[in-house]
Amino acid sequence: MLAGGLGAGALIALPDISLAGRTAAGSVAGPVAGASAGTIGAAGSAVPASRYVLLYGTPGTSPFHGGSFAAAQAPKVRSSALPAPKSVAAQLASAPVSSPDQSSVALVTVDAVSSGSQVTLTLVDSTTAVIEKQGSLTITDVPEGTNILATPVFAPGTTTIAVVLAITEPGAKRMIRKIDPLTGDLVTMPGTSYTSHHALAYFDTATGSFAGPFHLGNAPALALSTAAANGSDLFLWTTAEPQASQATKGKGTADTTPQISAFPLGSGKPRFTVPGLHPWPASEPVVTLPSGDAARLVNGRTVQVCSARSGDLTQTTIASLNVIKAKPSAITMEARSDGTVFMTKPGIGKAIITDPADSFRVKNEISFPVPTSPLGAPWSKAVLSASGDTLYVLGAAKTGGVSAYDVATGKLTGSYSQGDNHSGLYLLPSGTLLATSAANPRLTFYSSSLSPLGTLETSLQISAVF
Amino acid sequence: MVQIGYDTAGEIQNTYSSAHSEFGENPAFWVRYFSPSPAADIFSSDPTSESEGAWASGGHYVGAVSAPSQSRLSGSTAEGQADAQSFCSSLLVAWDDVGPLKLPSNNALYCMLDQEYSTSLSLSYWDGWANYVANYNFASLGTYPLYPGLYCDPYSPYPNCSTIGSATGLNIPSIVWSSEPEPCGSLKSPPAYNADQCSSVSSSKVKSNLWQFGEQGACGLSANVDLDMSPNGFTYTSYCFDVVSNP
Repeated sequence: MLAGGLGAGALIALPDISLAGRTAAGSVAGPVAGASAGTIGAAGSAVPASRYVLLYGTPGTSPFHGGSFAAAQAPKVRSSALPAPKSVAAQLASAPVSSPDQSSVALVTVDAVSSGSQVTLTLVDSTTAVIEKQGSLTITDVPEGTNILATPVFAPGTTTIAVVLAITEPGAKRMIRKIDPLTGDLVTMPGTSYTSHHALAYFDTATGSFAGPFHLGNAPALALSTAAANGSDLFLWTTAEPQASQATKGKGTADTTPQISAFPLGSGKPRFTVPGLHPWPASEPVVTLPSGDAARLVNGRTVQVCSARSGDLTQTTIASLNVIKAKPSAITMEARSDGTVFMTKPGIGKAIITDPADSFRVKNEISFPVPTSPLGAPWSKAVLSASGDTLYVLGAAKTGGVSAYDVATGKLTGSYSQGDNHSGLYLLPSGTLLATSAANPRLTFYSSSLSPLGTLETSLQISAVF
Repeated sequence: MVQIGYDTAGEIQNTYSSAHSEFGENPAFWVRYFSPSPAADIFSSDPTSESEGAWASGGHYVGAVSAPSQSRLSGSTAEGQADAQSFCSSLLVAWDDVGPLKLPSNNALYCMLDQEYSTSLSLSYWDGWANYVANYNFASLGTYPLYPGLYCDPYSPYPNCSTIGSATGLNIPSIVWSSEPEPCGSLKSPPAYNADQCSSVSSSKVKSNLWQFGEQGACGLSANVDLDMSPNGFTYTSYCFDVVSNP
């Protein structure tokens, strides 16, 4: 099992055996300790024809280190017996990222080494849950206590995975006076301030080697960034860290506007850098459009598109999503192979299919009852069938279960519930639906016609499925 | 006495009128979203108009919450630290922009992390998040006025109270903002204070001194607000930004 020294997270894998007939190159084996190069399973060994479901989340028992990853198997028929999910990785440095074709998942671990911090990227084959490639680079000359946030970005149609590194270094320790929250007393405690900058690295999946790191020299910056890539460039939204003092108060000089840079893949020098638009990067949904332009969905309703050629920005507020409520909603955005963009906002009970080539005109709009916990993890609560003709969505908060809608008409075509209020919904490549729940069995599988296929227990509280 | 106010993902200036029409009372406070909250309107995007709205509403205290993409709360220290850094910077920008927007006179601004019912909070994320907030040298004042807090449903089966029960030192939150139970009510006729407590389900001794007793959707409210209350003996507005005059 992979285990990063400085991260927190885990992965569990289980086969989606609905993909009967597919052959696998390896199998999920027992845990392999350490973050050094290794395999989850022995390549070439015989395994059931299957595809694995990769689960990301927090162990359900203390101390809740989080960032865990596991593999699990989906049933083909209701009577299928399933093996328990197996741990794949723990203490990940950041959330996994799936490749555009969903054939692999990139994991990052960070370990302290004598010369600095070692960042290891592991590419896991989604079909077999076997490590495809793995490589490391070392960030040198960083003080103890440095935190590295590593975000893999797949460049579609290439063998390159860009890795955006936010490197946050501690300053000198000092004593600070704070109120003890439990006693109300003013106490003196050791404290530290931090400064962040970014660096880029590029992983070649063909060779398993890294280029970089290329430090961008943008300190002090906010560590949070947004990134997307096309076949030639990495697009990166960053923000300078605001600075203010009592002398500047009321003058409004602290605010900083995001900037967008386009880096040719493999390079640390931008092809262009342009001022962006608010809001700051905030882990908002981002996709690469068929045109190669990069688009992010902000404020839960507005798409900002950065031209890949010039950096010109356009902004479109989607009327169907422009509904304000007291509580924010989960939001998702997905670029589809037919060139459309699928978005969901379960907090207002909406899913839409838009045409980015026509100013994000809404081609289809489906309304559904708001499911339970519309902001809580996982944010995937409504999914589109591979053909794009059926929307599957978690049932209403009062009824639970799963429902299906005809995309063309927006009409409810089916539903199933045993009163379970699921937290998330995913469509597996086999067409099987996977719903997640709070308590075991945390995995419930449904057929595309909403027939229950079975359940499975896992030790993870699931935050995302790959 | 209890204090009752609103939280909203919308802008105060576009919300207070409808809330006043529905409830006929001025709120004691507002709780507003700051970055990173990818699905909300951010207070610091237009802090002057927001502060004008708070002033006009009669509830000139503004509490702070951040609602990151929820799967991140299961993550690493680096993820928690990065989210906290944007949160603190967002608070700083608002303070810097609006002259009459003041820090609390007791130098303790409570900063909430939004953990929804179905979200798991890892100790690594919380430690990274809370430690950065508590250590933030706001505007180089040297007073370190930010204090971490957690919005959660204490009885949720997902790790929340147990996680903060394991926190130590600066990482111990100052407040829990409980989302349950949800009896609904109004500003004029609120329920008796009865927030779920983390101490009932974990070793955490942090009190639920803010209670979301009415959520817009569940309570059928027209205005884009949820209803919140702090108990007798605790003055939540003492831990909020204060709009001391009309900007």
